[in-house]
Amino acid sequence: MAIDMNVFRGFAEQIKMLPQMAKPTDCPENQRVQHAKAVFAEKLDASKATQLESCMHCGMCAEACQFYIETEDPSLTPIHKLDLLKRFYRREKAPLRFFHRLFEPEITEADLEATQFLVYESCTECGRCGLACPMGIDIASMVNVTRQGLAHAGLIPAGLRAVEQEQGGRGTVFGVGAEQLKQAVEELRAKGHVVPIDKKKADILVLSSTIDILLFKDALEATVKVMNHLGVDWTVHTCAFEGANFGLLSGYERVQRFASERITSQAIALEAKLVIVPECGHAYPALRWEGANVHGSPLPFEVMALSEFLGREVAEGRLQVNPIGADKHVTYHDPCKVGRHGGVFDEPRAVLEALGVDLREMPNNQAANFCCGGGAGLFVMEKAEPMRNAAFDLKRRQVEATGADSVVTACGSCRVNLMAGAGRTQWATPIESLVELVGANLK
Amino acid sequence: MSCFCPKSGSGSLAAVLVLGILFTWFPASAEEVNPASPIMVPNPAADLWRAVRQRDAPGVGQTQVGGVETGVLIDSAGEDFRNFRRQDFIGNAAIFIGAFAALILVFYFTRGCINIPGGRSGRKIKRFADFDRTLHWFTAILFIFQALTGMILLFGRFVVLPVLGPEAFGVIASACLEGHNLFGPLFLVALFLLFIRFVARNIPKRRDLTWLMRGGGAVGEGHVSSGFFNAGEKIWFWAIVVLGLTVSISGLILDFPIFAQGRETMQLTLIVHGITAVLLTAGSLAHIYIGTIGSEGSLESMTTGYVDENWAEAHHDLWHAEIMERGEPVVEQETEKSETPPIDASPDKA
Amino acid sequence: MSISEFVDGPFWYFSAGVFVIGVLWRLIGMLALGTKTDYSVPRASAASGAIGINITRFFPRRDFWSRIKLQVVAGYLFHVGLFALLFFAAPHVDFYRERVLGFGWPALPEWAFIVFSEIAFLGLMLLILHRMMHPVTRLISSRGDYIGSILLFLVMLTGCLALARSHESLRILHFFLAELLLLYFPFSALMHTFTFPFSRGFMGAYYGRRGVKV
Repeated sequence: MAIDMNVFRGFAEQIKMLPQMAKPTDCPENQRVQHAKAVFAEKLDASKATQLESCMHCGMCAEACQFYIETEDPSLTPIHKLDLLKRFYRREKAPLRFFHRLFEPEITEADLEATQFLVYESCTECGRCGLACPMGIDIASMVNVTRQGLAHAGLIPAGLRAVEQEQGGRGTVFGVGAEQLKQAVEELRAKGHVVPIDKKKADILVLSSTIDILLFKDALEATVKVMNHLGVDWTVHTCAFEGANFGLLSGYERVQRFASERITSQAIALEAKLVIVPECGHAYPALRWEGANVHGSPLPFEVMALSEFLGREVAEGRLQVNPIGADKHVTYHDPCKVGRHGGVFDEPRAVLEALGVDLREMPNNQAANFCCGGGAGLFVMEKAEPMRNAAFDLKRRQVEATGADSVVTACGSCRVNLMAGAGRTQWATPIESLVELVGANLK
Repeated sequence: MSCFCPKSGSGSLAAVLVLGILFTWFPASAEEVNPASPIMVPNPAADLWRAVRQRDAPGVGQTQVGGVETGVLIDSAGEDFRNFRRQDFIGNAAIFIGAFAALILVFYFTRGCINIPGGRSGRKIKRFADFDRTLHWFTAILFIFQALTGMILLFGRFVVLPVLGPEAFGVIASACLEGHNLFGPLFLVALFLLFIRFVARNIPKRRDLTWLMRGGGAVGEGHVSSGFFNAGEKIWFWAIVVLGLTVSISGLILDFPIFAQGRETMQLTLIVHGITAVLLTAGSLAHIYIGTIGSEGSLESMTTGYVDENWAEAHHDLWHAEIMERGEPVVEQETEKSETPPIDASPDKA
Repeated sequence: MSISEFVDGPFWYFSAGVFVIGVLWRLIGMLALGTKTDYSVPRASAASGAIGINITRFFPRRDFWSRIKLQVVAGYLFHVGLFALLFFAAPHVDFYRERVLGFGWPALPEWAFIVFSEIAFLGLMLLILHRMMHPVTRLISSRGDYIGSILLFLVMLTGCLALARSHESLRILHFFLAELLLLYFPFSALMHTFTFPFSRGFMGAYYGRRGVKV
């Protein structure tokens, strides 16, 4: 099928139109500060308190952040993004709040607005900063908490807000709903594939994403081929197929809960033992690590990222592939949310080993790899363009340092951002999908 | 960073003036330590004491006390040393530093502040990295501390004690001695780090001779070329390396008298230490002068790390040309944002 | 009451009291905020992640090393020097024995005390200057960062000036500044002394349950 570049370009055009599609939120103008504070008050617990209290302003977090490294703009220092949250904590939750109030001014709406760019358009919540922090401050998680506060104060950037509102309202993303899934399934069936859809019961619920349904159709096809090759009891479902969670990305909890519970309740109804998250970054932690908390109890099914599932099946001998050969030199880009935040490093490498390719690791890899720059919804926010470009430039140097012929990844957002960067800089190195490599080389 | 180059006098100028006056003034007081003529009383044990004092022949007595030179009961050379230090050294040191300060003043009042030719351009180039500046100020702070405590140890009896009295001076002197001794070895560390960091930019080149012969452009027509550092700066660098090493090593010998140093060694070392310290102090006055009020646009190179482009072209044209060839950024403000696309950080509100 | 009696007496008890109560109040207050239960199924142990990170975080990752050399080296010089002189310098050990604990322990020889002090000064001065010079730390540093580090520097400096133990006034100055530091401590970022095992621990738990070695 290959990637339809018209669709890719269409995507880019649609993204430019997003801000116009955003609707006003239900937060009254003069209540933004209260709404934000209410969220912060609920979210600040002992872990965040001890971390906010431990910051020594050493600046090491900046030295880990691809955005700071490329631009040398000190305002992009990661811990600086948490100034708003720190101030709220000191004034309202800290044990010495009565003392801090003498020195910390009250939070204003201007403060909320000044924080918007810092936590949205200039941060992918990749978590690299937290890895460098000697105090172990989890800046990425607290950036998300800040997003939650700003979201409830009506301050989600317009492009991201439009997508979040669509998902929370119509339940679709970029107009992709049940009909579009059925269409994609029909296309695959027309090619001779068996694609179970809307079964009443199944062992495995396979999720997909707007990006795969519209753009990376080969990834969807490869997934279908793999599931049939394994001979497992699986299905896709029109009521729960979207892995992306724009509520999590935007910080708007109601939509996060909606998108997550839709999948959880369907999986429970199916009596599924396993839910497979497609090649998508944040979709994995959204369900694997946050799904149970949104649900309020442990999930009665396993959740695996597609790359994780492929790795397990290869390791246990059930997934059989033909080796491609060691004259294919690749490097692997770990999506931040699947790798650093998800813990999935070994499994994709097991797949590449089974495929017999020559894997060359980037100078900074696995838990310390650099973000592609497109995560956390950055690719739908136009003001994030300089940041995405900066991160891509760094990533390109990392890839070129390996001498690899292509870069393999297991995330649709990463692919989109790397492809966009490749187009902008006329970079010829192909960006490949792990599941597509597997699908093309099944025994 | 605004130009620290006033046309009329400034606070720091006044300080140089006061210091110069102080240092030229109290050699007079140094003369007063000579005691009045002794009362002549026949000493019944004159021979004994002459022998003990070992005036006529060098020799060391025997004693059960173990240690370096413990067989010396009365150190005659000590009196000579004491007089030398009090009269010759302290006096001349004060005159030297005072005269140097006065010369700087004369230079300032005649030549004036060296302004940036053509005025400031408003565009800035990065000259010193953060670590360069950190090391410079680290060394500078340590040196100033050592110089101040050292000068109190040297001149304090004549300048501080008459003003504050013996009890207060005792406290100050004790504090200064402890501080001076503890921070001394740190100065050596700072010097070492500074050397490693700056030596590559201070290697003498042929053009430095030309710069020197032309007095940095003061002699002859037209412009004189210079790289990152000019000959004057390179001389200062090597001066502080050589003198700094000397003052530090002599300081270490004095600070750690646990290697069987005898009195003569310690006395000689103290003189060497003092002479190099005085030379360094005088040199520092010149360095501080030219880095602040003496040359427009220089101080900011060490405080912000950036210099005005016209300053760079005027004083270090070859370095400026290299920067331009390498395509390094020239910025309007003192941050490194100019090459990146403008970030639109204006908020979206719903 | 003379200054000396005040500094050795009521002011010492007051500042020590504020220090102990303040530190406990702040630390317990933070921890009392509690954490929410995480219902996700861990991939590995959160507890061993929490403990492990407290050790591994002392050794910066190779990936960041080239960009953070100064902070790490100067930071260690300062902290190692500080702990050595705080807990093993003879005058301090004597102080703990006589005024705080009732017992002491073997102290460093004088020359080692001097060397560790110099190491601590080297680290602290480089860190303070770096904070003032580097655009990132210039932006994110607060008044408190400068007050805390400069106050600490003054305590160390006055300690150094009083090394000869020849004048009561120098000792009193050092004691007074140290007591001011004790008063300031619970209200400042110096609290990281006690909070860092927890902040590291919580991150270690987060990544530990995800099976990521940090």
